[in-house]
Amino acid sequence: MFRVILYSLWKWSRLIILLGAVAAFVLPILSVQGASSDAVNPLTAGELLRSIQSWGVLYPVLAAALGLLVAIATWAPDHRGRHVHALSLPLPRWRYAMLRFGSGSLLLTAPMLALLLGAVLATRLAALPAGLQGYPIALALRFALAVAVAYAVFFAVSAGTSRTAGLVLASIGAVILVQVLATAAGTDLNLLGPLQNALLNWPGPLAIFTGRWMLIDV
Amino acid sequence: MTNTIEIQQLAYRPGRGFEIAGLDLRVPTGSIYGFLGPNGSGKTTTIRLVLGLLRPRAGRITVLGRAMPADAPYVLSRTGYVPEHPHLDPTLTVRETLRFQSAFYPLWDATWAEQLLETFGLDPARAFAKLSKGEKGKVMMLLALAQRPELLVLDEPTDGLDPVVRRDILAALLDYVSQHGATVFISSHLVHELERMCDWIGVMDNGRLVTELPIERFRNGIKRLQVTGAPSDLSTVPFSLLARSPNGGTAETWVVRGWEPDMRGYFATVGASLQGVDDLDLEDGYVELLRTFRAPRGERGG
Repeated sequence: MFRVILYSLWKWSRLIILLGAVAAFVLPILSVQGASSDAVNPLTAGELLRSIQSWGVLYPVLAAALGLLVAIATWAPDHRGRHVHALSLPLPRWRYAMLRFGSGSLLLTAPMLALLLGAVLATRLAALPAGLQGYPIALALRFALAVAVAYAVFFAVSAGTSRTAGLVLASIGAVILVQVLATAAGTDLNLLGPLQNALLNWPGPLAIFTGRWMLIDV
Repeated sequence: MTNTIEIQQLAYRPGRGFEIAGLDLRVPTGSIYGFLGPNGSGKTTTIRLVLGLLRPRAGRITVLGRAMPADAPYVLSRTGYVPEHPHLDPTLTVRETLRFQSAFYPLWDATWAEQLLETFGLDPARAFAKLSKGEKGKVMMLLALAQRPELLVLDEPTDGLDPVVRRDILAALLDYVSQHGATVFISSHLVHELERMCDWIGVMDNGRLVTELPIERFRNGIKRLQVTGAPSDLSTVPFSLLARSPNGGTAETWVVRGWEPDMRGYFATVGASLQGVDDLDLEDGYVELLRTFRAPRGERGG
């Protein structure tokens, strides 16, 4: 069962996976351009760190995009068929959902491994100024975790009906609207601050996306 | 006689307006049960409830001796389902679709699936999305049959298909049923098609089951009578008067159910005269039945 579901998902998501893997492989290599051993004017430690930090913004963006797109692709054939075929298959619904989830997770290991390879290669090729070190495995693990979190969140949202997705979006919109109105009215109500803290600060579920993503650091 | 599908006091309401309330239905084991009804009458909803695709608000559904939707995996592994619209992955080819389906059904017959591919003239390398409507219908029937089901649930499987494709599909279905004695629950708009193959008929309208009986009784019991001089008081009629319409002068046309030849004598007892008795085919009987069912109580005959 898993093999046929995996194959079906591969047909829906192969372009996403291939492009994602290429981007994940290339990103760490591009981020250490200025530190290559044959550069005419190699970057100083401070310049290199700033360059690495600016490239680092792209890792969580890529992770979120991969998680979102593969999650959508995972449910795409079922959404398109209004779930009639999936529901008429002779297995419990939770097991079907797990098979779908597992197939998406397995395909996402390709860009995760591509990033690991790219990061290892980039740190090998770079001539690092004294005091700096490469952290390819830590970066790859963090990227893998971020992809997994994004995929799990969007998979859960996509698993529902369009009504469920609408409710989620409407709830977010309502919070923002209340905050805008409260600010305009000059009240002290602060909904977004605590929400942001709960989601983006450790141990919030999206904390993995925040902070600095450094392939090379002190 | 055992029933492969048994529905008791089923209630379901998807939203405002339409609802299924107090539905009782029985599909005898080994029968071909034709499920008739106009668009929006609740046939597809009932089928989806039977298969556990929808959850009822109340009532009991038993399929192959198991409660639905609680035992859905067991029942679905023994049930071939052809939905109203083909809902398969459009990116897969016919061959890939067969491989996908075979992974879920333990009794999948790969040899027979290959034979059906050939019989139906399907190109296994063609993507499902690129098949014609008729070819999609054939693929759906192939998938339902190749899993060797005990029960086939077919939701308008030949709707919109040309006569040649329809004949191919129904021939494969009847061939399977004759060899394996499977039970078939088939909904259709094509009354004549059901008349040829079914042995039981259920008629649904507006979420309610209007009637359910062996097709012979349905066919033979409904007649059109030409009557003259009928009295206005018809409280003693020995049959069920479904419809009564004036025909000029004292002549009237009656549509009746439960007619027996020895009921002719009734007309003399009320001072009327029976001029003729016409058989109604299934389609006429179905139309008259629905017309009577929909008429307000006071306008119904008998």
